[in-house]
Amino acid sequence: MDSSARRMALEFRLSLGLLALVAIAPLAIDNPYWLGVLIVSMYFALLAAGWNLLAGYTGQFSMAPACFAMIGAYTTGLLAYHWKIAPSLGIPASILAAGAIGAILGLIVLRLRGPYLALTTLSFAEIMRLAIGNSYDFTRGDLGLNVPGLFESRLACYYAFVAVLLAAQGGLYLLLRSRAGLFLQAIRDDEVAAASRGVDVVLWKTVAFTLSTAASGLAGAMYAHFSQLVSPELGLLSQTGLVICMVVIGGIGSLIGPLAGALLVYVSSEMLREAGGVQLIVFALLVILIARFFREGLWGLARRSLRKTTA
Amino acid sequence: MLNVDLFINGLIIGLFYALMAVGLTLIFGILKVVNFAHGEFYMVGAYTYTLAAFKLGFDPWLALPLALAAGAFAGWLTERTLMRPLYAGYSSWGLMRDEYAVVVTFALSLLLINLVDKVVGPYPQRGPGLVDIPRMALGPIMLSGQKLAATGMSIAMIAGLALFLRYSLWGRQIQAVAQNRLGASLAGIDTARASSLVFALSGALAALAGALLAPIINASPDVGAFPAIKSYVIVVLGGMGSMPGSIAASLALGVLESFGAVYISYDYRDTFGLAILMLVLIFRPQGLFGERGREV
Amino acid sequence: MGTRAAFTQKDHGVSCLAVSNVSRAFGGLRAVDRVSFDIGRGELVGLIGPNGSGKTTLLNILSGHQPAEAGEVRLGDEAIQGLRPERIAARGLQRMFQLTRVFRRMSALDNLMTAGRALGLAHPGALARAGILLEELALSRVSDLDAGQLSGGQQKLLEFGCCFMSPPRIALLDEPFAAVHPAMKETMARFIRAHHADGQTFLVVSHDMPVIVELCPRTICMNAGAVIADGPTRTVLNERSVIEAYLGGAGAA
Repeated sequence: MDSSARRMALEFRLSLGLLALVAIAPLAIDNPYWLGVLIVSMYFALLAAGWNLLAGYTGQFSMAPACFAMIGAYTTGLLAYHWKIAPSLGIPASILAAGAIGAILGLIVLRLRGPYLALTTLSFAEIMRLAIGNSYDFTRGDLGLNVPGLFESRLACYYAFVAVLLAAQGGLYLLLRSRAGLFLQAIRDDEVAAASRGVDVVLWKTVAFTLSTAASGLAGAMYAHFSQLVSPELGLLSQTGLVICMVVIGGIGSLIGPLAGALLVYVSSEMLREAGGVQLIVFALLVILIARFFREGLWGLARRSLRKTTA
Repeated sequence: MLNVDLFINGLIIGLFYALMAVGLTLIFGILKVVNFAHGEFYMVGAYTYTLAAFKLGFDPWLALPLALAAGAFAGWLTERTLMRPLYAGYSSWGLMRDEYAVVVTFALSLLLINLVDKVVGPYPQRGPGLVDIPRMALGPIMLSGQKLAATGMSIAMIAGLALFLRYSLWGRQIQAVAQNRLGASLAGIDTARASSLVFALSGALAALAGALLAPIINASPDVGAFPAIKSYVIVVLGGMGSMPGSIAASLALGVLESFGAVYISYDYRDTFGLAILMLVLIFRPQGLFGERGREV
Repeated sequence: MGTRAAFTQKDHGVSCLAVSNVSRAFGGLRAVDRVSFDIGRGELVGLIGPNGSGKTTLLNILSGHQPAEAGEVRLGDEAIQGLRPERIAARGLQRMFQLTRVFRRMSALDNLMTAGRALGLAHPGALARAGILLEELALSRVSDLDAGQLSGGQQKLLEFGCCFMSPPRIALLDEPFAAVHPAMKETMARFIRAHHADGQTFLVVSHDMPVIVELCPRTICMNAGAVIADGPTRTVLNERSVIEAYLGGAGAA
């Protein structure tokens, strides 16, 4: 195994460790509010992982992760609200819907890069949000939809999230370890060269888009059945901004960055909320500093200091 | 009569859009990036104007240039601290300059919005009007004095900018850098100063828009979001770097939204521009007026 | 207008790359003007011409990065004009770029692995082949470094290696010796000679005349988009039209 494969394996093991900590946290915390906070951070962690696959590994900086979470939430929500379909069918439907729409969007934006891609996905996200918000008759607009819960107990919901995150991390690791990982990163680094070496750029870009949006849809659907309320606010641009902050702070382009970033940012945001609501200012500042001076995020900093101590 | 009214109002709105979009177009022309914090320059202008007038007791006609200055300063500072890496080459993002710009300006936008929210408070503040004349008849239509004054100022600023770019030394330097950065620097032009100037100008224009519209669209922390999205649409439609293109696109968008709100759908009036943006980027990546494609 | 008695299929057995009447214009400028030539299997052919003669555009057309407006390109017996670059690469045409293109944030080894796996090699096979290439190109020491951290010459060698993870039917090299340290130049020339001896077909674009003379038995010369000479290297280099192209009103035609 060469160093990059070793690094990825290390990141995967660390993320498993982190998830293990999250899994045993309920033993120490029985306050339902903080359990809820951890659940929401897991929701963001899933969104972050999906966006990181698209942006960090494939180089496509989409502005639509929150939008697809919203699409996922509304798919299962509308199915439950209008046709009384159970979450066990609604959630898979959300994955399919988000993935399918994502695949189409991915094909549409194939030739776009950088700010053009960002602007197109941003427009798409805003259009969807406005469309859902305005379709009052069907979606109840800004009032939101009430949907049934997934489980009776909050704890069961908690472990459902842990399980899903675990599966997602595992799937991501398997994917990135395979030739797909090589191809996606090659596309990120130099699309023209990748094509010249024989990488099917169209296929793999679309795959990345589809997987990313499907993960977002799944996250949104699960969140819907946890909070039991679905509203267009899920798809706000500021929510996407939060996801981007989390990934950049944690370490973009790594397996552990999104997970660590999501947990760190959301939990401390809740803790800071009591201290006077400066959390977003702090995080935005942190993102700027990291982007400006150290793009590998906190995980990169950790790796550097580890290397110094072991060298 | 309604149509004429809609048309004129559309043009007026288009002028304000132009104030926003023209600066963004300049930035794109010089640095080839989109500034996602552009809306916050608008917000800075709106707040400076409003607070200067109400908290500091400035006369609105003094508060206006103050808002301009604030916007210019904000733009200059942004370029100086955050945008240098894009061409000085010492950023750790290296090749992913587009993505760096997206992340950093997005975060800046988040920072400014929340900073203002914290420091000034989230409640909308209404800016004072410049002119007290209520409604006047101008040919076939009725306009408020405020709107008239604002329109006049916008036209003056845009024309001034066009003249500056065309005839002044610095203006021509900016055009040179936009066409060919390397060549311009080899010819002895200070490209860093050109970039700073462009950012300052774009900040000033956006701030002016915010200040002029403060009496109509109250200043609130996220007031800049909508104007920003409109300007992104316009920059792309106008050809990402073409000044005349973006002015034309601004006016066109204003008129389109004005008619669309009445004849198609009021609720969806904001989506027309977005939908057009998507369609244009998909089918004609170089915009309606641009020449360069965005293929790799 | 100069020697056209080219080495044809008759002399070198099977045709590897057959270019017929390929043309492409930009606006009013004919960048590539009815270019035709035939490269036999196992040939090592140089492509020369002053700046602006259309060499790079021609390579772009051959490798699928730009479309031709007219003409046909056959690799072996398959027509490849108009195909996407990845399809052409899969069919055995590998192209090296003038401005080195490597995957900067991936390790040198991963760069090679990507190329190998994209062409259908399985992991163990690709790994083995990468190891051999790293040795041959003296890059083993730096195989774990990110490609972006390598020197310019090392990056060129790496890109070179990527083209050979699965020996292509023909390798198009665009100015491989430009701005390269003499030691690297020697490594590359050695590599080319060795693989040519094994039967690898090459088309080498270069301005470096001594290297062309040394390496390539046959040379094609372009000027203003058209082929003006095609034959044994020494003969071509002594042709009036070729000398004029370089010295005289080059590119003005």
